[in-house]
Amino acid sequence: MLETVAQAVINGLLIGGIYALVSIGVTLIFGVVKIVNFAQGEFVMIGMYISFYLATQFGIDPIVSLVVSMPVLFVIGVLVQHFLIRRVLGPNDMPQIFLTFALSLLLLNLALMLFTANYRTVHTSYSDEAFHLAGLYIPVAKLIAFVVAMGLSAALWVFLHTTDLGKAMRAAAQNRDVATLMGINPNRVFCVALGVALALAGAAGSLLMPFYSAYPFVGQVFVLMAFVAVVLGTLGNVMGALIASLMMGIAESLGIQFVGADSGLIVVFAMLLLTLAFKPNGLGGGRVR
Amino acid sequence: MTKHRQRSVVDIGTGANRVLSQRQSRRKFLVKAGGALAAGAFGAVPLRGWAADPINIGALYPTTGSMAQIGVGCVAAAKLAAEMVNDAGGIKSLGGAKLNLIISDVQSDTTVTRTETDRLITGNKLSAILTPFARASQFAQAQLRMSRLVSDRPKVAVIFENTAFGTSTSNGLREQATAEGVEIVLFEPYSAGFTDASPLINKVKSSGANALFSVSYLNDLILIVRTVKQVGLDVAINGGSGGFVIPDFYKNVGKLAEGLQGVAHWNHDMDANAEKVNVEYKKRTGEFLFEYAGGLVAQTFMIADALERAGSPDPQKVRDAISSLDVSSGYAAMCPGGKVKFGPDGKNIHGHPVGVQWQNGDLASVFPNEDKRAPLIKS
Repeated sequence: MLETVAQAVINGLLIGGIYALVSIGVTLIFGVVKIVNFAQGEFVMIGMYISFYLATQFGIDPIVSLVVSMPVLFVIGVLVQHFLIRRVLGPNDMPQIFLTFALSLLLLNLALMLFTANYRTVHTSYSDEAFHLAGLYIPVAKLIAFVVAMGLSAALWVFLHTTDLGKAMRAAAQNRDVATLMGINPNRVFCVALGVALALAGAAGSLLMPFYSAYPFVGQVFVLMAFVAVVLGTLGNVMGALIASLMMGIAESLGIQFVGADSGLIVVFAMLLLTLAFKPNGLGGGRVR
Repeated sequence: MTKHRQRSVVDIGTGANRVLSQRQSRRKFLVKAGGALAAGAFGAVPLRGWAADPINIGALYPTTGSMAQIGVGCVAAAKLAAEMVNDAGGIKSLGGAKLNLIISDVQSDTTVTRTETDRLITGNKLSAILTPFARASQFAQAQLRMSRLVSDRPKVAVIFENTAFGTSTSNGLREQATAEGVEIVLFEPYSAGFTDASPLINKVKSSGANALFSVSYLNDLILIVRTVKQVGLDVAINGGSGGFVIPDFYKNVGKLAEGLQGVAHWNHDMDANAEKVNVEYKKRTGEFLFEYAGGLVAQTFMIADALERAGSPDPQKVRDAISSLDVSSGYAAMCPGGKVKFGPDGKNIHGHPVGVQWQNGDLASVFPNEDKRAPLIKS
C-alpha cells in the first residue's frame, strides 16, 4: 500500500515538472504583458517537432536539442510580441484574446498541413529504461525531464531576482505605469517575457520528446493543465505556478490510483475549486512575484 | 454546395466522361470502411449510351484530421481496387463499364461524416448497409480465447478509454469472460488522451494481472506499451483492433511491439490474393495493407460482383444482388474464413475476426487455427 502511494507520488511529481514548464510560461506572460496566451500549447508542439526532426535527421538527442529549440522559440516569442501582440495591447482585452486564439488555430492547422496528423516518436537508449529500487521505479527519461525542468525554473527565478532585466520584468508586472515612469521600456521587457515564456514551452517540448509522441494537437493536452495551474498558483506568480503544477501532477496521479483512471482530473479540479473557495486569489495569495 | 469537396480520382472511363456532370454526380455508390455502406441511385437516366458510362462510387474517408492516417490508407486501397476491377475489363454485363471513385473527405469529424453520408444517401434515394466482416461480440470472444493460449489461468486487466467505443468493447469482454474461463481482475475506464500512463499501469501492477487488454486509440496505446516496459511488468498485452493493427503503431513503438497480440477484421496474409494485393499496395504506399484498407479492397470486389450479376446499375437491383452474394473464391472472398454470404441481418454469416501478433515488424495471423499462418509466440 505504502509502495503504491509512493509510486503514485513519484509518477505525479515527474509529470508535474512538465506541467510546470508550460504553466510558468503562461503565468509569466500574464504577469508581465497582462495577456492570456492561448497558443502556449502550440509552442510546446513546435518544440517537440524541432526535437523530432533534429533527432531523426541528424541523430541529435532530444534533450540535447533543447539548445536549439529554446533559442528558436525565444526568437519566435520576440517576433510574436513585436509584430503581433504589441499592436493589440490597449484597454480592450478582446483583440488580445482573439489574437492568441487565432495564433493557436493557425499553428495547429499549419502543423497538420506540414507534419500530417501522424504520431511521431523518438526512441533514445533511455526512452524505455527505468531505475528500480525498493519495489519502486523511476523512468529515466522522465527523471531527466524533471531535473532539467526544475533547473530551468531555478534559473528563471535567479534571472528575475538578480538581473536588471529580470527586475525590470517584475517591476512591469507589478505596475506597468510606474515602471514606465522609472525609465523601463515596456516593449523591450515584453519581448523578453514572451521570448522566455516560449523558450520554456520549447524546452517542455524537447523534454517530452523521449517519452511522448508529437502530433499537431499535442499542445492542447498540456495547456489545459497549465491553465489550471496558473489559476491555482495565482495568475502571474511564477513560484505559485511551479508549486501548483507539481501539486496537480500528484493529485492527478493519486486520483487515478485511488478514485479511478477516468477521475484523475476530478481530483485536480476539486483541488482548484477548494482553493478558490478559501483563497480566491490562488495559493500565492494574489501576489505577483 | 458540397460539390467542391468532391473530386474524381479514378476516371479511366471512356474519355467521354472525364468531367463529372451534374447528372452523374447523383448516381454514386458509397463505400465506407468497417461496415461497408453502399448507396447508389439514378435520377432521370438518359438512355443514350449509359451502358458504358462509368459507375460512380462515393468513398467517404477522413483524409485530414486525427484519423487521417487510416483515411489516407483507405483512399489508396480504394484507388487500387477500382483500378484492379477496371483493368480486368470493368463490369462486363454493363458493356465493360468502369468504376469511378468520388472521394470525399469527412475530416475525422462525426458531424461532417453524418452530413456527408446523409447527403449521399438521401440525395440518392437508397442505401444498403453490409458488414462483410466480424461482429463486435466475436472480437471479444477471440481476444478472450487468445489469452488462454498464453496462460492456462489468465487473469486479465481490462483498461479502456471512457468513450462509446471503449465502453461497449470492454463490456463485451466482461460479459463473455466467465463463459470463456477468463478471470477479469481489473476493469478500469480511463480518460482518453492522457499525459502519462504511469498511474494507470501502476493500477494494473497492483491488480496482479498476467494479461492486459487495452481498448485504446493509438497515442494512449503507445504510452501504455512503453510504460509497461519501463515498469518491467510481465503481462501479455492484447491491443485489440483499430490503432493497434496499423503500420503506424509499429513505427512508433518499434521493437516493443514484437509479440504483442491483437484482433483484426482482416489481415494481409490470409490467402494468395490478399498477399498479391498487399505486394501492390506496399509498392505504392511503402506500408503493408492494414485491416480497413484490405477489407475495402474485398468490399469493392463484392460490389463489382453484385453489379455484374445485377446487369444494371439500378441501385435497388444492385442492393438485391449484394444480398444474394455468395462467394468463396476470388478477391471478393478475401476475408477471414474465405467465404462471404449475407444473412437476413445484412451480416456475413461466415464472418469472424482473425487474431494477429506483431512478428518481425509485420502482422501475422495466429488465431483461430483455420486462419493461422504463423505460430503464436509466447513470451
